[in-house]
Amino acid sequence: MMSAMDTHTDPRQLPAVIEAQDLSRRFGDTVALDAVDLHVPAGQICTLLGRNGAGKTTFIRCALGLLPPTTGSVKVLGEPAGSMAARLGTGVMLQDTDLSEALTAREQLALFSSYYSDPADIDAVIEEADIGNFADTRYKKLSGGQKRRVQFAVALIGKPRLLFLDEPTTGLDTDARRAVWDNVRRLAARGTSIILTTHYLEEADALADRIVVLAQGRVIADDTAAAIRARTGGAIIRCRTSITPEQALALPGVRAADRHGRLLTLSCEHAPTTLRALLDADPDVDDLEVTKPTLEQAFTALSAVTTEDAS
Amino acid sequence: MSRTYAGILAAETGAELTQSFRAPEFLLPTLALPVAFYMMFGVLMSRGGGAATYLLATYGIFAVMGPSLFGFGVGVAGERERGWLELKRAAPAPASTFIGAKLGATIAFAAMALMPIYAAAAFMGGVELPKTVWLTLFLVHLSAVFPFSLIGLSIGFSFSTNGAVAIANIVFLSFAVIGGLWFPATFFPGWMVAISNALPSFHLAEIALTVVDAPGDRIAGFHATVVAGMTLACAALAGWTWSRQR
Repeated sequence: MMSAMDTHTDPRQLPAVIEAQDLSRRFGDTVALDAVDLHVPAGQICTLLGRNGAGKTTFIRCALGLLPPTTGSVKVLGEPAGSMAARLGTGVMLQDTDLSEALTAREQLALFSSYYSDPADIDAVIEEADIGNFADTRYKKLSGGQKRRVQFAVALIGKPRLLFLDEPTTGLDTDARRAVWDNVRRLAARGTSIILTTHYLEEADALADRIVVLAQGRVIADDTAAAIRARTGGAIIRCRTSITPEQALALPGVRAADRHGRLLTLSCEHAPTTLRALLDADPDVDDLEVTKPTLEQAFTALSAVTTEDAS
Repeated sequence: MSRTYAGILAAETGAELTQSFRAPEFLLPTLALPVAFYMMFGVLMSRGGGAATYLLATYGIFAVMGPSLFGFGVGVAGERERGWLELKRAAPAPASTFIGAKLGATIAFAAMALMPIYAAAAFMGGVELPKTVWLTLFLVHLSAVFPFSLIGLSIGFSFSTNGAVAIANIVFLSFAVIGGLWFPATFFPGWMVAISNALPSFHLAEIALTVVDAPGDRIAGFHATVVAGMTLACAALAGWTWSRQR
């Protein structure tokens, strides 16, 4: 085992909750996952971010043993994906997976708790997932958002060391989404490792220690949210000015310029350099605002680069 | 409660029974239809004699067919379509407890469908049989759960919910009519008898008819062998459709 004093800690040496090696999955001619290597150490919230069809759900399904890989392998909690030992330590909330319509949340929790040696207390899970108001209503009669919350509760019943959440907040309103986020943070604080897929950039940004960006089945970025934003670098400058986009492009460090009415938006490499030139060019600049690119902008840039590479 | 095989099986069976009891569209036809038919054709229209005993043997097979084909066929198709099966595969639930619980629930419903028919036969149809014959008949009727459930499972793994309803109904009705469960197969033309001989319902009915000593020449051992062979074939079919799920 490694000591806490060890400063040469290679993350690859830490015990992994997910260890995917050269994982590929094809469906006919379609490549859903393309040689994915992913090592997720324990205790992380790791977000798989990507557009629909990027390979997020295929990755989850391979990691759960629901889908055999075409090539490569994936281990979960040190055990082969889909093995009973891996399943016992894992909680799952999947997309397009409905619970039994005729049973209540409490009954479904009781059924799933029978699968585990040391399940969580059913009432405690009901409270934690905040489903007390409809715990004794048949699943069929619940709203879409309530159903997702019951599914979340079911994922917690086995006291999982690793939690898979595949698009957990799809179909939820803002309040319910924030409630799920709070829950995820609380679980992570208690040491649960979490693999979460989302196409909401805001969600990845708000939750993740680490963001893995998937596009066309490949990992195109794997870093912290801040680092991914920094990867595309630079800053966004907005201001009211009489300068035209053509003139702005001639300023130092400007990569792109766009104008709506008198509002000019500049994407630049180094904000101070561009700002100095901008203020020299137009002393009447007003409403000046400098921001870091959002994850959305960073993500669009990363995806665009990959598409160019591929063609 | 900690994880034991018996504990999981009990929880799964309980959930199966609860779900079925909350589905009147499943419960009513499977439990009420066979006894209603038997009352009409076996008791009211036959006015005693051999018909009540003969039809007791064949309607018993008919009664078991409903929960087996529809519970497994339509039930599994729906659970598969909703992703419920996939979630269980991702959870540490053994596949055998899922099948075992469904089988247990089906046997329970089969017994519930049989009891009113037995009561109608004994108290209204004038059927008198020794206790051991009643018991043997009950066991023969219940054994029909196995081949029919395996056929239902194959349907459930192969078709969407709507498709499974349609296919299960076709199988249900053709097994009933051509298998000789509603009218004795001896009335059938030769070509139909040939089809009857290919159906498990026909051979199960023949075994049940031997038990109640109905008129006609039958060799129970032959029919039992055929049923055993057909059940193995159905098991292979169910296993194959199951493996195609991945």
